[in-house]
Order: sequence, then C-alpha cells, then structure tokens
Amino acid sequence: MVNPVLLIAVPLGLAFMVPLIDSASRKLTRFVPVAALLFNLILCIRLIPAVLENPIVINLGGFTPPFGINLFVGPLGLLFAGLISLAGLVVSIYSLSYIKNGPVVKYHMLYMLLLTGATGVVLTGDLFNLFVFFEILCISSYALVAYHGDRAGIESSIKYLIQGTVGSGLLLIGIGFIYGIFGTLNMADIAMKIATVEQSTLFVPMILMVAGLGVESAIFPLNAWLPDAHSSAPSSISAILSGIAIEVGLYAVARIVFTVFGISDIYLFFAFLGILTLLIGEMCAFAQSNIKRMLAYSSIGQIGLILFALALATNNTVTGGLFQLVNHTFSKGLLFLSAGYMIYRSGSMEISSLNGMGKRMPLTSLAFTVGAFSLVGLPPFAGFPGKFLIVSGALLKGEMVINILVGLVLLSTVIEGTYFFRVIQALYFKDGNGEQRKQAPATAVTAMIALMILIVALGVYPKFLADFLSSASSDLLDKMSYVGSVLK
Amino acid sequence: MSFLQNNIYYIGAFGLIMIGLLTVLVKHNLIKVIIGLSIMDTGINLFLIAIGYLRNGTAPIFSSPEVESILMVDPVPQALVLTAIVIGVAVLALALSLAIRLYKHFGTLDLHKIKELKW
Amino acid sequence: MTGMEILLLVAFGGVMLTYILGRISSSLRNTFAVVLSLVLVVIIALMYDKTGETIFYRGFFGIPMVLRINSLSWIFAMTISFIGCLSVIFSLDYMKVKERTSFFYAMLLLVNSSMMGIVLAGDLLTLFIFWEIMSWSTFLLISYNGGPAIAAGMKYIVMSFAGSMAMLAGIISIFTAFGTLQISEIAAGMSSASSGFKIFIVIVFGIAFGVKNAIWPFHAWLPQAHAEAPSPFSAVLSGVLIKMGVFGFILTMYVVVGLGTYMSLGGAIFSVRSILLVMGAITILVPTFVALLQDDAKKLLAWSTIAQAGYIMLGIAYGTSLSMAGGVLHFLSHVVFKSLLFMTVGAVEFRTGGIRDLNSLGGLIKKMPFAFTGTLIGVCGLIGVPLTNGFVSKWLIYKSLIFGSPLLTFVALFGTWGTVLYSYKLIHNIFLGQLPEKLKDVENTPLSMKLPMIILSFTVLLFGILPGLPLRVINKIVVSLGFDSLNISLWGIVSESGMLNMINLFAAILAGLIAVWLFLRIGARTIPVKQDDNYAAGAAVPRDRYNYTVKFYDPLLRMISPYLRDIFDTFYMKIADLTGYLSNGIRKIYTGYVGNYVMYIVLFISLMIFVQMKWSPW
Repeated sequence: MVNPVLLIAVPLGLAFMVPLIDSASRKLTRFVPVAALLFNLILCIRLIPAVLENPIVINLGGFTPPFGINLFVGPLGLLFAGLISLAGLVVSIYSLSYIKNGPVVKYHMLYMLLLTGATGVVLTGDLFNLFVFFEILCISSYALVAYHGDRAGIESSIKYLIQGTVGSGLLLIGIGFIYGIFGTLNMADIAMKIATVEQSTLFVPMILMVAGLGVESAIFPLNAWLPDAHSSAPSSISAILSGIAIEVGLYAVARIVFTVFGISDIYLFFAFLGILTLLIGEMCAFAQSNIKRMLAYSSIGQIGLILFALALATNNTVTGGLFQLVNHTFSKGLLFLSAGYMIYRSGSMEISSLNGMGKRMPLTSLAFTVGAFSLVGLPPFAGFPGKFLIVSGALLKGEMVINILVGLVLLSTVIEGTYFFRVIQALYFKDGNGEQRKQAPATAVTAMIALMILIVALGVYPKFLADFLSSASSDLLDKMSYVGSVLK
Repeated sequence: MSFLQNNIYYIGAFGLIMIGLLTVLVKHNLIKVIIGLSIMDTGINLFLIAIGYLRNGTAPIFSSPEVESILMVDPVPQALVLTAIVIGVAVLALALSLAIRLYKHFGTLDLHKIKELKW
Repeated sequence: MTGMEILLLVAFGGVMLTYILGRISSSLRNTFAVVLSLVLVVIIALMYDKTGETIFYRGFFGIPMVLRINSLSWIFAMTISFIGCLSVIFSLDYMKVKERTSFFYAMLLLVNSSMMGIVLAGDLLTLFIFWEIMSWSTFLLISYNGGPAIAAGMKYIVMSFAGSMAMLAGIISIFTAFGTLQISEIAAGMSSASSGFKIFIVIVFGIAFGVKNAIWPFHAWLPQAHAEAPSPFSAVLSGVLIKMGVFGFILTMYVVVGLGTYMSLGGAIFSVRSILLVMGAITILVPTFVALLQDDAKKLLAWSTIAQAGYIMLGIAYGTSLSMAGGVLHFLSHVVFKSLLFMTVGAVEFRTGGIRDLNSLGGLIKKMPFAFTGTLIGVCGLIGVPLTNGFVSKWLIYKSLIFGSPLLTFVALFGTWGTVLYSYKLIHNIFLGQLPEKLKDVENTPLSMKLPMIILSFTVLLFGILPGLPLRVINKIVVSLGFDSLNISLWGIVSESGMLNMINLFAAILAGLIAVWLFLRIGARTIPVKQDDNYAAGAAVPRDRYNYTVKFYDPLLRMISPYLRDIFDTFYMKIADLTGYLSNGIRKIYTGYVGNYVMYIVLFISLMIFVQMKWSPW
C-alpha cells in the first residue's frame, strides 16, 4: 500500500525544490505544481478502496498514539485531500498561462505550500500539528493575496494577516488550555477523555478554538478579511482561497466540535450561526457592483449554508453539506477562474464592465453561467443534489425551529439567484463595447472545461459521490469509531 | 499572596496577551499593531511554557540515574513553543515587509486612512 | 426503453445537436430544428391513449425517477410539441435578421423539451428538475432581446425562482413525510395526512404554480415578459409555458390532494376551493380591463393571457366534471388562439420593423391580409364567438357555474364583455382604418409565418365546429381525476344543465349568413367613397394619423383606470427595493478599518463567554 504521508511530503518537498528547478530550467517551474498535484490526485484515488474499508492511521516516527504525531486518513480526510489535489490541479493548469508576470517562482512555491498546509490540516490527528499546518496555509495565503503587489492586494493582505494572526493566537491559547487540562494533544485521546472533565471547563478552550479557526473559515462575525482578500488576490488564488482554504477551516471547526468535543448541546447554536452567516453573506453580495467582491460574499453565504448543514449533525444533512462543499469548491473555483479572464480582458472588476462578454468570450461566459447556476442550485448542475439533501435532511428532523431556518435557507437562495442572474444578463444580453472576440488561452479553457464537466457530471449522477460522502459523514459524526481506530 | 505566587506566569502571560490585543484594537499605526501582535505572540508562548512548568523542576533529560521523572518539567510545551516562535517570526517578517510595501503605496501607516477596501 | 424515454432523449439530444449544427450552417440547423420538432409531434401522437409508468433513472441518490403517460400528460405533451413545432417554423423568417440564432433555437427547443419532461414526470423530483430547467431556459429567452427585456427577465426569474423554492419546500416535505415522491404513491399517503399538512402543500404548490400561471396576485411578471420576449417565443410562453401552472394545479388539487379532499379542504368560508375561485374571478376581472389600457399590442395580449388564465382557473377550481372539462378545453382553446394572436402580432412587428405601438399602426389589412384573417379568427376565439373553439370552452364554464355560483358567472360574462372591447381595439388599431404614410411599403406575411397561422386558424375553427374531437380526450382526463363521465358526441355535449350541438349551430349560422349575403347581394347599392370625403366633416385630415386609433376608448379608460393600479406589482418592487436598501445597510458592517474587524473577533468570544457565564446554556 502507498503511504499517505506522501500526500504531504511530496508537495512540501517539491515546494522547496521549485527555486532549484527554476535555476536549472526556467520553463519547467510552472509544471512543478501540476506534477505534484497530479501525483497527489492519483494517490488519493488509489487510497479510496482501502480507506473505505478501514481508516488508515499512520504513526509518524513509530510512536503509538497518544504519543507522537499521527495521521488519520479516513473517508472525510481523503475526501478533502482529494478535493484539494483536484482543485489544486485544475487551478495550477489555469495558472500556467494566467501567472506570467511578477515573482513566478515564489508564486508556485507558495501555492504548493498552501496546498500542503491544507492537506496537512485535513489529515492530521494531532491538535498542535493541526495548528502548524494551519499556519503554513495561512502564511502562504497572506503572501499570495499580495502577489500582485498593488494597493488593494497589499492592503487586504495586511488586514488578512492581522486578523489571521489574532485568530491563530486564539487557537493556540485554546490548544494550550486543552493541553493543560488533558496533558495530551492527540485528538482521539482528548476525545476519549473529554467526558471525564466537567463541560463548563471546556467551554472557554472550545470557544477560543472555534473562534480561532472561525477566522479562517469565515463564520459570520469573524469573516471581515474574506471579501477584501478574495477580491484583491489573483483570480487563481481567489479560486483556491474560496474553494479550498475556507473549506479546510470549516473542516477543522467541524472536526474540533464533532470529534474532539462532541457535545451535542451546542450544535443548534452553530446552525443559527450558519444561517446568520448565510443571510449576511448573501445580502452583502446582493449589494455589490464589483464582481469579485460579489463572489467573495457569496462564498461567505455558501460557507454559512454548509455550516448549517453540518451543524444539524444527521447523516443526511452532513452528506448534503459535504456535497454542497464539493459543489462550492468546483463552482466557485469555476466562477473565479472565468471571472479572472473576463476581468483581465475588460480591465475592470465592475459588473457593468462585463456587459456583452458573452460575445467576446463565449466559452468563458458559458463557464461563468454554469458555475453560477450550479452555485444557485439549479438542476441539472451539482448544486441541486446538495441543496436537496440539506433541505430534506433538515426537514426530516421535524423540529419547528429548523423548519423556519430551512425557510430562511430557501429565501437566501432566492437572493443569491437574483444577483447571479443579474450578472448573467449583463454577460449575454447587455451591449458592451464592440471589442473583438478572443478566447482565453488554451490552458485556462482546459481548466474551465474540466470543472464544467465535473459540475454537470455530479449534477446528473450525484450517486457517484453520494456513497463516498455518506461514509465521510459517518467518519465525522461517529466519534467512537474515530477514537477506536486511532487508539487501537 | 500565594494565589499570585502560584499563578504569576499565567497572570503574566494573559497580561501580555491582553496588552497585545489592546494594542491591536486601539492603535491605528500599523507598526504599533504589528508590535501588538508580537506581544500577544510572546504572551501565548509564555502561557504554553507556563503550562508545563514546575517550580524547581529539572530539565527533562535523564542525565543521571537518580533524576526523578516527577520533577521534570513537561518537554512537550517547550517543543510547541519553539515551533510557535518560528511561526511568529515568519508572520512578523511578512507583516513588516507588507508594511513597507503599504507605505510605498499609501504614504502612510495610519490604518484609519487605509480603507479603500470596504463594504 | 419506452416511448417516453426515447422522446426525452430525442428532445434533449436535439437541443445540443441544434446548437452544434448552428455552428456549421444556419440553414442546416433550421432544417434540423423543424424536422426535430415534427418528429416530436409524431412520437407524441403515436403515444395516444397509452398509459404507463417507467422508472428511468436511479442515479439521484437512488430515488426512483419515474416517467408516466396518461391522457392528462398526453394532451399537454401534444399541445407543447404542436405549438413548439409551429413556433420553430414561425421563427425561420422572424429570426433571420437577429444575431445568436443558434442560441435562440437551442433554448426554444430546450424550453419545449423541459416542458415535455414536466408533463411526463411521474414523480415530483423529476417534475422539479424539469421545472427548473424550464425556468432558467425561459429566463434566457425572455432576456434575449436586451434593453427593456433585461428587467422583464429579471422580474420573471426572481418570481419564478421564489415559486420554485416554495415548491421545493413542498416536495421535500412530502418526501420526508411519506418517503416517496412518486405521484401515484403520494396520493395514498396524502389521504391520511393531517389537514394542516394538506393546506401547507396546497399553499406552497399554489404559489409555485400560481406564479407560473400568472394567477392574481402573482401575475406581476407576465406582461413585461410576454411583451419583451421574441414573438415566436411569446407564442410559446403565453400558449403553453404558463399552462404548466394549470397542469400543476390539476396535479396538486386532484391527483396529489385528491378530488374528495380538495372539495372539503379548509373552513366553510375560507375553503381552499372558494379562495381559488375568488382568485380566478379577480384574475378575470382586473386584467381584462388593464388590457384595455395597453397601447402595446403584445402587452395587451399579455394582459389578456392573464385574464384567460382566470377562466381556466375558474373551470378547474370549481370541481365538477363539466367545469373541469371546460377548464381543460379552455386551456386548449387558449393555447391555439393566443399563439395565433401572438404570431400575427409578431408578423406585423416583423414587417413593420418592430412597431408594436397600437397608436402608430393601422390600415394594414390590405398589406397583410393573411395576418388580418388570422387575427380575426383568433380574436373571435378569444371572445368566444360561436363556431370557434373559445365559444365551446366558455360555454362549458358558464354552464357549470351558472347554477352553482351566479356571481362567478356574472364575473366571467363581464370579463367577456371587456374581452370584446380590447379585442376590437387590437384588430382595429392594427388592421383597420387608415394606413400611416410610413407603412406604405409593408410587405405581405412571409410563408414561414403564414403556415403556422393557417394551421392555427384552422384548428380554432375545427375545434369550434367539432368540439367532440378534443372533448373525447378531455373526458378521459376528467374520468381519471375521479369525476363522472360526460356525455359527448362529435359535435357537442349533453349535460344536465343544457346541451350543446355545434352542428345545429353551424347550420343555423350558415343559414343566417346565406340569408344576409343574399339580402345584400340583391338589395345592396354600395358606392365606394374615399375616406377623406366624409371623414372629419370636410376638415383637413392629418395625413399620417387616423384619429380613432389614438386614445382608443379614452373616456371609458379615464373612468376605470384609477381602479386598475397594479398594487401587487408595486408591492413586489417595494420588496425588491427594501432588500437592496437593507443589503446596502448590512454591508456597512465591513467598515474597512481593521481594528473594527479584530473587535468583532473579540466581541464574539466575549459574548459567548458572557452568555455562558450568565445563563450557562451549555
């Protein structure tokens, strides 16, 4: 069997190889991330059958848990790792032509570090290790947001950095508390011992950790960095930040809340928080005239929806939430990638400057349309099965409060639809200036077509993913089997 | 008095964290904010060390057979702090380099004046 | 693989192929589109009188997705493919001058295909999926023309999307309650459900289908959308697309909820049935007179569409076998004559270079005789002149209402009076009177537009003279919904409240016509007089304007227009404004000052800890 450690080790190693490779051959540099992520993707696919049977636990350095650091490759972790490599691969193909100017070597290096950090977060079974990978993820994204070095990029980067650092400080304090209480950092070990301590003592560390991770995962009052950072980063990075980084943050929140603490009294609170995030994100997006800011706020909304779905903590809703998460990665990635070239062509991020893009860049506009429809949840695209699962799972709980929340979800979907339809009308039916028709470069088109195919395939045949997602959701919800498989 | 004695490190640590946080909250000079972040980081590191610290403890090394493990300070937080310090330095360096670029663009470090991205 | 699967495969495959062919050659694409839509008509015609259910797909989380055919789906599918085919033929010339025709054809066919999917759906999930595909493809087509069409499309999609979300809530509630989405199985579960649940289902589905069917107060999107869409698509939109709402109503009220339950659902006064009837009546009354106010030919027809939807609603909601037959027949009649009218108006628009304003048209009868004849027949159908299909269906509706509810009958008759007025305005202001100077060079209707007009005019008369043809199929629907069978012959219908025999009527009218003709022939002394001779009593006539076409019915309109303000349209626009305003306010929390942002983080934690310490909910 292949060792899942390679999922982290290969991109990490190659990331630091990039400057060396660059000094050997300038042309080869751009292809390093493609190669690394392709390797990761293949590895993830090869791991699927084994992981579905039994989660793989790797003890680094041979220390058995609770000592040492272990990696836990369950269906959920593998889902995320696969998603990261897939989205990363597509975006790295897109960047082949998109990233031409500026410090290209550093871009590719940081890009791979970002994805390494993300993969590490989803695979690790150790709290402090989670923090370290989280910091790798965050620091590389601070730097990547500022990649262009323009006013907006630097400003948003420094704001992101300040908030992110405060957040990770809080996370570290929380981890310190946990270590102080339990004397261990292994998540499975903590999860096992959690019942021995009074609940109220755990409240402060939990809220500190949730707030710390919440900054990265864009939960409502903590997400002010997101619209700035996502809108001023290069579009390829926006796609990754929106499609991967905040999802990984959400994974960490879910892992901490479900597996480590696993106390169900607080779930409803998270459901409310999710709905609040959803409504505020969608309403802010509704009022935007800047396309990338609109997409960024829409990410906040989607994260809220996913959080709501996860917080209901039934197998159905979590499966639905994960489906929506996969859909969000693909659709929002597609939206940012297509918007990237449209902005490049029109030279402005205002929605009104995209008028008539349907004629100038038909394929890119089509990609945007598919992404938008999918995100809104129109069949036959991937957004619909996710929404269907979430709503049906939520209604299945049969509680009045949750029914009302579902009503709000549907309401916010209408708002979301409204602002996306507005952009689509601008793309196709408003007259723009009569520029010549010119497509995006072949690599970018390849990336967008790949995502479009994935979205349509998932929308038409959701069962393809549903079974895997359902075991991933039981991985998240079933605390005992997690503990059991780590501490055999 | 003994409360103070027993918890002096914790009080110090949280004092530092609060000072740092307050600096971030109320100062609008970017350099001061970064200093605040750094102070906060220091506080957190002190907090981590304090968790594993024993009064009159020894280094966690079995240098001679008669060293008792009960007297050793916990080595794990120290390892954590080493990592945390490295991370903190990285963030600080990045923040300062960004501050330089920011000053080039805006001609000021006053965060009240750097509000082009909002709403 | 059954006929239904083949049908959908051909329909949806054809959509893609049409677009791809359009990339190669436009004439190839046009031929293919016409052939494809003809093939669809043939396939559906072959399915006549078949019933059956097949599970065609299990890929959606293993929920069986079912297609089923019965007489109800057949008649709707037939109508869709028929009108779809004619509108494709009509587009051949109409779309020649526009750009992005491949997109137009593909979307037109996609709308038709998805509507077929809706009517053939055997479970609510399939229905919803096709419903949404229909919604967004319609949105793209309505916005197609740009300009004012943008706002129209936006209004349409937002209302329609809100409706679909309501429907989704209903569908998923049914799914969670009964564990199945198959229509045939839901009915069994519904009968044992609580009445609150039933009312909830009726409300959410009512909103969804009411929006699509443009029942008052959900009609606000329709006038603009119909007016701004390309004319061949307006025909589809007004003819069949909004009738998906009718299909949905029949499905929810009589199949899902069930006839017996539907009649007794709700309280004594505020029963679901009476509310629907009142909504139907208002839908007839108000839009009819709003139509009078319109100066835009297509807007006039659009408001007339809403009013006619009210008649259909009245027939369907009343819930006797006669009224049901009347409702379904009126749907069929309306499809035919309203598509015809939109096509004739479209032809006029096409030939005059996009003029739809009734004040600046006139006298086109000599230039476009075909369009005039089509409009005349269509208008006759719309009013319900005997020997047209509109007469039969309205007769059925009046007959069924007249004893049970005289007030509703009065409303319906009153609406017909208004219909006469606006129909006359339409035909007069376009075709009669004086030809404006600038329209001197208008050419006759092109062949591709004549053909659908001839076919539709013929259908109007055929169904008017031999109503037994459609009524036989409709009788099957009526029986399958749980009503008594009707006594139907080829030329009429016998019911307890009177009988209809179109052959006798036909003979009587024919005899009358011959008598008049003979009388005129023998006793007529016609002297052709130039219009200028007596018009305006010798005063100078403005060259370019025939005064009666401007401000038609002005005194009447001045009298009634204060009562016809569209409150609900204003209301919806206010909601939209409010949402925008609120959103603008909410985004101000992202102030741009990073200190505030950190403050949010600190506040979040402090609030949590405070709540925990104060009330310790955890």
